[in-house]
Amino acid sequence: MTGNEIVSETSTKATAGEDILGRVEEMQRGLDGSYRDEIVEAIYLDAEAITRKVVRTDETASYPWDQKLDRIVTSRIWGLPFMALLLGVVFWITISGANVPSSMLAEGLFWLGARGVELFEWLGMPWWVTGFIWHGVYRGLAWVIAVMLPPMAIFFPIFTILEDLGYLPRVAFNVDALFKKAGAHGKQALTMSMGLGCNAAGVVACRVIDSPRERLIAILTNNFMPCNGRWPTLIILATLFVAAAFPPAFAAMAAAGSLVLIVLIGAATTLLVSAVLSRSFLRGEASSFTLELPPYRRPSILRVLYTSLIDRTIFVLWRAVVMAVPAGGVIWLLSNIHAGGQSLTVWVSQWLEPVGRAIGLDGVILLAYIIAIPANEIVVPTIIMAYTGAGMMIELDTMAELQHLLVNQQGWTLLTAVCLMLFSLLHNPCSTTMWTVYRETRSVKWTVVSGLMPLAIAFLLLFIVAQTAYWIMGLTGW
Amino acid sequence: MTGIIVLILAGALFVPQYGLFWRIRRRRWLHSRQAVEDALAHLHQFQHDGRPASVESLSNTLGTSTKHTLVLVNRMAQLDLVVVTGQGMRLTAVGHRWALQIVRAHRLFERYLADETSVPREEIHARAHRLEHTVTEAQVDKMDADMGHPAFDPQGDPIPNASGDMKEIESQKLVDWPAGVPALIVHIEDEPPEVYAQIIAEDLHPGMVITIVDMSPVRVVIGTPDAEHVLAPVVAANVSVREAPTEDTEPAGVPLTTLAHGEAGRVVGLAPACQGLTRRRFQDLGLTPGARVERVMQSAFSDPTAYRVRNTMIALRREQSDLIRIERAPRNEQEIDA
Repeated sequence: MTGNEIVSETSTKATAGEDILGRVEEMQRGLDGSYRDEIVEAIYLDAEAITRKVVRTDETASYPWDQKLDRIVTSRIWGLPFMALLLGVVFWITISGANVPSSMLAEGLFWLGARGVELFEWLGMPWWVTGFIWHGVYRGLAWVIAVMLPPMAIFFPIFTILEDLGYLPRVAFNVDALFKKAGAHGKQALTMSMGLGCNAAGVVACRVIDSPRERLIAILTNNFMPCNGRWPTLIILATLFVAAAFPPAFAAMAAAGSLVLIVLIGAATTLLVSAVLSRSFLRGEASSFTLELPPYRRPSILRVLYTSLIDRTIFVLWRAVVMAVPAGGVIWLLSNIHAGGQSLTVWVSQWLEPVGRAIGLDGVILLAYIIAIPANEIVVPTIIMAYTGAGMMIELDTMAELQHLLVNQQGWTLLTAVCLMLFSLLHNPCSTTMWTVYRETRSVKWTVVSGLMPLAIAFLLLFIVAQTAYWIMGLTGW
Repeated sequence: MTGIIVLILAGALFVPQYGLFWRIRRRRWLHSRQAVEDALAHLHQFQHDGRPASVESLSNTLGTSTKHTLVLVNRMAQLDLVVVTGQGMRLTAVGHRWALQIVRAHRLFERYLADETSVPREEIHARAHRLEHTVTEAQVDKMDADMGHPAFDPQGDPIPNASGDMKEIESQKLVDWPAGVPALIVHIEDEPPEVYAQIIAEDLHPGMVITIVDMSPVRVVIGTPDAEHVLAPVVAANVSVREAPTEDTEPAGVPLTTLAHGEAGRVVGLAPACQGLTRRRFQDLGLTPGARVERVMQSAFSDPTAYRVRNTMIALRREQSDLIRIERAPRNEQEIDA
């Protein structure tokens, strides 16, 4: 081909291209709005014709099992109580199942720690190396593993089974009317369920909501579902304080009930905050909502074990460990660097004490929450490390000793426990979740709101609860 | 003493109109893209309606003093966007092109907000007005393509295409329409907002077929298949209609919500009020004419309701299922393609 030919060919191509584009534009103008409808209808007609030819359906099979199950699970009377009961049973299994392995793990790990200290002393290491590694870092680590591994290894597989069964969309179906009233999207119930696992995952899951306004509401309120990082705190408190107030036979049930109550308070807060947001800063009406209710499936055990143990348990535990190591170190340093005759821990917690007291907590708990911003998992270990300090060599290898430390030595009451549970439920999300909020919204403003709004709500509510309690105690001379 | 100094300083800064703060804001506004674009849109609107635009009309629309409007007009003349003639101001070719781009961006944003978000109808205009100044021409092109080159905005105003062509539609004011003849709503004027709010309250949309039932100097009564609406003539004057096409645009049948528990029916079509995201989602789920729907479950709070569509169970809120028109299947047909 000569150069001229190429030029003429490309120029005819160019004019042909322009012709076609011109035709397209002309035809576009001639279309009326319904051409999309016609395309979709034609596609469905074709698909139906093909299906009729190649798919044989069993006329008699009409989901009898599904329908029976749905009749209970989404019943107008039993649907909601069933949901609460199911949640209670899951917590009850988790708490009563995790007790024994937890204390065994703690015993084993602390025994190992004691041997480690002996080894370092035998090697003639300076006291601060021994202290930093074994009393600071190792103890934090041991705590995280002993306290968190067993409940997670029970809770996550059960939760994954419920997911796999197809129960979660039914939950969304049951409670959608409440979300509609709050001006939110029904699928927010799904993202909340994900939040029960991990808030960062819950925030990412908000992508299933199409409308930007409702997605933002779901993102900002996801934090009010306690994630697995907060479960250990809640479970420990429920076991130590709520269960202890009941006869042993009902102890686990009472603890489970208090956890259900916490989740319900979280859900109520979510709805309330969503309603306020959708009437103020994020004004608008509820948008369209279509929810697919898939048929129930038999969960595949291998997949359940894989997703719950590898994807969730190990992932969460690893994150906790990674965060606990530096936090353990920081706490040890704060407890052992002395200024003016007191350790830094004492200085900071004394400074925070009045704020903590006003909301039913104390300075050490607030300090622990500041250190635990990267990961909520380490709140309880941090509190214990701060209380015991490095000098005190008590080994908390049983729940009874922990109770002794908190109640007898540090003066925790049922009020402290209730306030701490509420604070754990409502306070600011961890830094990972906030980073995820930023990635999803691309807005510094909403990221800041997602952090400060829950914190403000937590402080306000706790202040009211604590002050009311102090007032009643003053009246009754408690 | 200090108090007085602070007061004087605060006065110098914040006294309305003359305070330094407001002067700076005004200067910034005068040099902003928004000022120029709002002025262009105003001139385009007047030119389109065949009215001469003046400095007065412009300063009225922009809400600025005549002095500042003059500064703005001079700047725009320097930029070769307008020419000032004896009959007032006229857009140059460049100005006209730019103005069309703004109109295009505005109406595309309105279309987008109406179809894809849950922004209330009365807020759409104001939001689109803010957004139209934030995009480049390339972004507008992309938005147009992503939305499938819509021809009209939610009020029925034509959206210009990339080369500025618009699909104009012949129409008449509703108040001039003869009583008893079916009419298709083609346009609803969204300004002034107070009047538009009344039209929204009656839930009237472009694409609806209506008939004037009764008209008097104080009220216009119009009928739709489901209800009767009463409008003041001033309000009705903001609705434009044309002759309804012979084949019914409004699908017949009854709303899906009228189906009783366990009953089945066939989809006839989707209501014209159902647009954008919701319409596409319904079509994706297979709610096309002829599809069989059966009502199977109701949630604890009686809303939403679950329907079986093409062998899949789908939960819909009441507002949505009202948009789906069906006809009840006779009893003997109920089991045929379950």
